Amino acid sequence: MENRSLKKVTSVWIITILVLFLASITLGIIMRFNQGTQLHLKPNTFYATLTTHGVTMIGIWAAAGLVAINYLLSRYVKTSAGLSIFALVFTVIGVVMLWMSTFAGNFHAAWTFLYPLPLAPYAAWKAWATNLFLWSLVVFGVGWLVWSVGMMAQILRNYSITEIFAWQHLTGKEPEKKTPPFILISSVSLIGIILCLLAAVVLLVFFFMEMYTTGVKNDALLMKNLTYFFGHTLANEALYLGLAAVYELMPEVGGRKKFGTTWYVALGWNCTMVFVLTAFFHHMYMDFVQPGGFQIVGQLASYFASLPAAAVTAFSVATLVYRNRIKWSFTNLLFFIGIIGWLIGGVGAVIDSTISNNIILHNTLWVPAHFHTYNAMGNVLLCLGFFWWAAHDFSGTRDTFRSHWPTLTLLLIGGFGFVLMFYLGGASSVPRRYAVYPEGIANGAPLATAAAWFAVVYLVGMLMVFLTIIRRCTKAFSPAS
Amino acid sequence: MTDHKTLLWIFLIAAVLIAVIFIAVYRSSLQAAEDSPGLENPKRKRFFFFALLFALLVILLAVTLPKSPYYMHADETPAEVVYVRAEQYSFNLSRTEELSYDDMELPAGKVIEFRVRSKDVNHGFGVYNDKYELVTQTQAMPGYVNRLRWVFDEPGTYHILCLEYCGMSHHIMSSSFTVN
Ligand code: HEM
Ligand SMILES: [Cu+2]
Repeated sequence: MENRSLKKVTSVWIITILVLFLASITLGIIMRFNQGTQLHLKPNTFYATLTTHGVTMIGIWAAAGLVAINYLLSRYVKTSAGLSIFALVFTVIGVVMLWMSTFAGNFHAAWTFLYPLPLAPYAAWKAWATNLFLWSLVVFGVGWLVWSVGMMAQILRNYSITEIFAWQHLTGKEPEKKTPPFILISSVSLIGIILCLLAAVVLLVFFFMEMYTTGVKNDALLMKNLTYFFGHTLANEALYLGLAAVYELMPEVGGRKKFGTTWYVALGWNCTMVFVLTAFFHHMYMDFVQPGGFQIVGQLASYFASLPAAAVTAFSVATLVYRNRIKWSFTNLLFFIGIIGWLIGGVGAVIDSTISNNIILHNTLWVPAHFHTYNAMGNVLLCLGFFWWAAHDFSGTRDTFRSHWPTLTLLLIGGFGFVLMFYLGGASSVPRRYAVYPEGIANGAPLATAAAWFAVVYLVGMLMVFLTIIRRCTKAFSPAS
Repeated sequence: MTDHKTLLWIFLIAAVLIAVIFIAVYRSSLQAAEDSPGLENPKRKRFFFFALLFALLVILLAVTLPKSPYYMHADETPAEVVYVRAEQYSFNLSRTEELSYDDMELPAGKVIEFRVRSKDVNHGFGVYNDKYELVTQTQAMPGYVNRLRWVFDEPGTYHILCLEYCGMSHHIMSSSFTVN
């Protein structure tokens, strides 16, 4: 019974996420056409669209990872559908509040709502919109914090602290009780998510103190550090959740032996857990007043957070596939391509996280270039792989892959074409977050137009995946299942 | 300084390399026999793979960290100090702490120090050359002064664009100065 309700709530989650995804892609395409001057939105409408797109995308793909691990966790520990339902309700309410604040209230301080912009006295939006926006984040935060802490508690009922981090594997000897990689990666990511949500709580409290009491003035540098500890960490941990699903499902779907935890897998993920928490300093490289030590730590941590997780995962996935006759299905192809996209985005990220490069890349289109690569062509595909697998699992249908090459071709051409335009933009010094490009930035508009069309191709591919998943997911509700 | 084009090429080559390797891995799977043993000697190969990547990153760190902007001309005395004040939605460049509305002209080949402040929200002080290539930047943060030291080798008109999102007219927030 419990399992059945978990399936149901997972189906509702999947459909909700995909609907919001299609809507947010459409917002993205509208922005690109505006930058290409095919459309002419008012600037504040453009920036409200940017804000909506950013928060919604980050939100749904972090949630997608949590949905995936919540479902797969039921294989190892007792999980409850209740937590997931709770988070779903909060997320939906949060999205409604968010979209009202931006589209009805015209709030447009971007997804990072960098202090003090939301409180700026000459803001072009209503004060209630600022309140609604910040409270929508509170609603998301409460939903996910309870959800993540709940899942962590469920894991801790079956695994000790040593075991969730696979420390018993670090000795190199075969331990008595093994930690499945899925548990290790899920735990590492959940800890990160809990920490960054707590930072968000502090950040929001600081905002509210300034808004609701008199005489409080916050420090802009501290607020920026908090913002990026929250935002950067959330975006990264979301990716690791997607990887947890890959470690769990890819060998299984391919008909091979499950991945095991070895000392280097354990070491790699422990390093990532620690380093990823200080990598956010790379967002402050161009704030020369930031203590110099943090800047260096930022570059070191950026390098050494990406290295272990990426190297271990790339090697594990490559050896799983190399000269092995694994069963290919659409799920595994999505995983495989998602890993490639994630690694390529990672290269873009490492280049930008080098301080001496950052001075000519910071806040150019290079930034959306790399994070769209590891999201739209990385994490999204990993989560979609899980969605696809789950939809077939729920409906009992078989998942074959031959007929899916047309869809994949659309996603590949559309997706990589779309992000390539961002990279070319970054390399032409085109600034990010510009509703319209100034005359001197000659490459901005043509690249934007091309990107918009590539994104349309990606959207069509997504729509095809979406229709199949919806059809299968609704079967989880039919009385026969 | 590494320029944009070099970085783009480094990225593209690495991206294509990753794609080619993984496509080859994928094809090897399609052609594999039922009982194919997969990768031979995985432990040894894994060791070399990790060691290589690790060495690469350490070298990159050693080469790039000293080039960080914080150390540029740190022990020189700037020939000129320019006070920059950003506010929604304009920049003011002055030789004193007071606002100035004169055109700014700066000497080429000398160390210039920009002291960048903001009156309201965060802004970005992005310096573009006359071909609109981004040459250097720092943030403008309320309550703080960011000091950027730079030597302009090329004379010409330089453009300033705002490089931190600051509200609905962020994209028209700009200014310029001349180097001769
Ligand atoms: C093909 C699908 C997508 C399209 C067409 C698209 C389009 C865009 C565009 C045009 C921008 C503004 C770029 C600029 O600064 O000028 C943007 C920003 C952004 N996108 Fe996407 N995007 C897509 C997918 C995604 C995905 C999957 C994510 C997942 C996390 C995402 C997250 C973001 C974020 C966080 C921002 C920054 C918002 C801000 O600056 O406040 N996007 N996107
Ligand atoms: Cu500005």
